[in-house]
Amino acid sequence: MIFSGRKKRVSDEIPTASMADIAFLLIIYFMVTTTFAATRGLDWALPKDEDNPPLVEKEEAVLIEIQPAGNLVVDGQPMQLDEILEYLEPKLERNPMKPVIIRPHADAPYGRMVDVFDELRRGPEKGVEVKNISIPTQREIDAFWF
Amino acid sequence: MRLHQTKRQDAAIPTASMADIAFLLIIFFMVTVTFEVDKAQLTLPESFIRLEVPKKSAYVSVTEDGTIRVSSGDEISVVVPGPEDVVSFAASVVATDPQKVFVIKADTNTRYQLVDRVIDGLKQAKVQTIFLLSAAEAMDSESGAGGGAGR
Repeated sequence: MIFSGRKKRVSDEIPTASMADIAFLLIIYFMVTTTFAATRGLDWALPKDEDNPPLVEKEEAVLIEIQPAGNLVVDGQPMQLDEILEYLEPKLERNPMKPVIIRPHADAPYGRMVDVFDELRRGPEKGVEVKNISIPTQREIDAFWF
Repeated sequence: MRLHQTKRQDAAIPTASMADIAFLLIIFFMVTVTFEVDKAQLTLPESFIRLEVPKKSAYVSVTEDGTIRVSSGDEISVVVPGPEDVVSFAASVVATDPQKVFVIKADTNTRYQLVDRVIDGLKQAKVQTIFLLSAAEAMDSESGAGGGAGR
């Protein structure tokens, strides 16, 4: 008789207390194994495929050359990165659509081109908006320059 | 003397819903995670302008040693022999989706010549928008002394 009395006290619930531990363990596992993908960058709208691209006279454009060591030459004068917008400001006031050409040397580091492109894109923060930025590829330079 | 019944109150904290909350969190993280299609480890250039890259963009990654990988955004990137192969890859992607955004993930110290040929390939394939993947600019390099060093 003593057995039947004790059996009735056994709980009929499924033990779910450890379920949360298991779930949090899974969360932590996924958090540790996830590598965060870099998902931000500079956007660059390429010119649309038009029959007659706007003709740009070479003399009209501002040419920013990036030398192999990373130093900048703007229209033939050596310049620091933070001086470019200052230099462009009066030119863009006269002609807001003045083309600015970035021409990195083949041996220049890619990061330097991004620095210059970023600086020009940040113009509006300093009150200088460069609307017409172009970074021609070597093939385009060979085909259309001169 | 009936008051003694309060001693029978169960002192356990109800933990049954804890698992539900935790699984909800798991599902939330699983849904919001974006899978990295390109596993190439490299030092990204730094920039101040950093816009969110649209999801499912096609990737072209260029490491410092010149290895080029491509991915249409749905599967893990594959190595291609040279920059010439980017044209045919990009053309096939553009043929299925002309609005496809291409992301260039290149190491900051890559020779520009290589990136130039990749960009040229994308231009030839009539790609409309490119994103140059970048890392956040470190505050001390604002003067623009040289290429970025951080990740």
